[in-house]
Amino acid sequence: MKRTGSLLFFCCLLFACNNKKENNTARPIKIASTDSSAPGRAERPTINPYAGIDVSPMDMSYYPVDYPKLKMAKSVNTPPLARVIYSRPHLQGRHIFHEVLKYDEPWRLGANEATELDLYKDASIQDKKIKAGRYIIYCVPHTDNWTIAINTNIDSWGLEPDTTKDVARFTVPVIKTNNSLEYFTIVFEDNNGTANLLMAWDDAEVRLPFKF
Amino acid sequence: MKKAFLLLFVFQLSLICLVAQTLPPVDKSPMDMSYYPANYPVLKIQDKLTEPLVARVVYSRPQKAGRTIFGELVKYGEVWRIGANEATEIEFFRQVRIAGKKIAAGRYTLFAIANETSWTFIINKETDTWGAFKYDAKKDVIRSTVTIQKTDLALESLAMTFDKTTGGFNLVVAWDNIKASLPITF
Repeated sequence: MKRTGSLLFFCCLLFACNNKKENNTARPIKIASTDSSAPGRAERPTINPYAGIDVSPMDMSYYPVDYPKLKMAKSVNTPPLARVIYSRPHLQGRHIFHEVLKYDEPWRLGANEATELDLYKDASIQDKKIKAGRYIIYCVPHTDNWTIAINTNIDSWGLEPDTTKDVARFTVPVIKTNNSLEYFTIVFEDNNGTANLLMAWDDAEVRLPFKF
Repeated sequence: MKKAFLLLFVFQLSLICLVAQTLPPVDKSPMDMSYYPANYPVLKIQDKLTEPLVARVVYSRPQKAGRTIFGELVKYGEVWRIGANEATEIEFFRQVRIAGKKIAAGRYTLFAIANETSWTFIINKETDTWGAFKYDAKKDVIRSTVTIQKTDLALESLAMTFDKTTGGFNLVVAWDNIKASLPITF
């Protein structure tokens, strides 16, 4: 009985916890298209004639982490170093491989527009210097590692990257986690004074190290 | 004993919740982007461009969620970020003119002061900032007041788009039953 009571409580709490997360993560969208690779934009039930809310919403990550909030709090007085702007496809019951991505085929690291990497200062990645500027970033996932490419074909839609505009390519290991992350996530992490660009989805995590 | 069990579960669950929250969740007010020319990235890969990229806006899209927006959530006469979270960014890829003034190519922050019948759009030099909490009028580049339109549709999500005009384009901002257009020329 004691056990049943605790179990019941556990379930209630888990539900409450999930609910709280849901509030943060899910929006009541009626999904018109489940194919996040198609250039079409899904609309909410009430049609927005100016710009529909996308099924894969856009997001932005800065380095230093949370730079705009630091700036607001006046705890930073230097310009930001980097920023990434990407769209966030979600699993919707699928598994990242092979239902969404295929090994050895390029992926825009997001949805819709190509993912943008803004470097506000020269950076070095695996000892290769990348000049400050606006770039796009995409990957080619393999079973044990991912190739990450930095490319100058900015303001483009993310399908079929023009590899002739690659500035650099890097190979980074892929880590398998026990998570199943619903939404694709890119975020800069602090790593003892250097930055890691973390790219995570489903049970895959990849980190690209940056030095500024 | 029961209590101890429960406490243990609560503790474990809070740990689970903490772990689950280390990566950023999808925002309630998702970010979005609009271009002039409209749909520039799609046109670019389709080789259908007829003019170069001139402007881009990056903003977050709060929801009406049953609330009265203008005059209540967005107070009249106060500087507003026209969005949520980070301040709205507007970037010009060439020189443009707003209210007769030359605006150099570059990244700017866009604010507005909403009133009952008009909005004042503000273009400000302080970029990469959060909201309008540290808004500094000394960094304004231009202010331009426009009359607004009431629409029949109550838009759930804040929307921004660029509409072509003769000699330029308008930045159109719409939410709830209000639509405000800022004329931009070349």
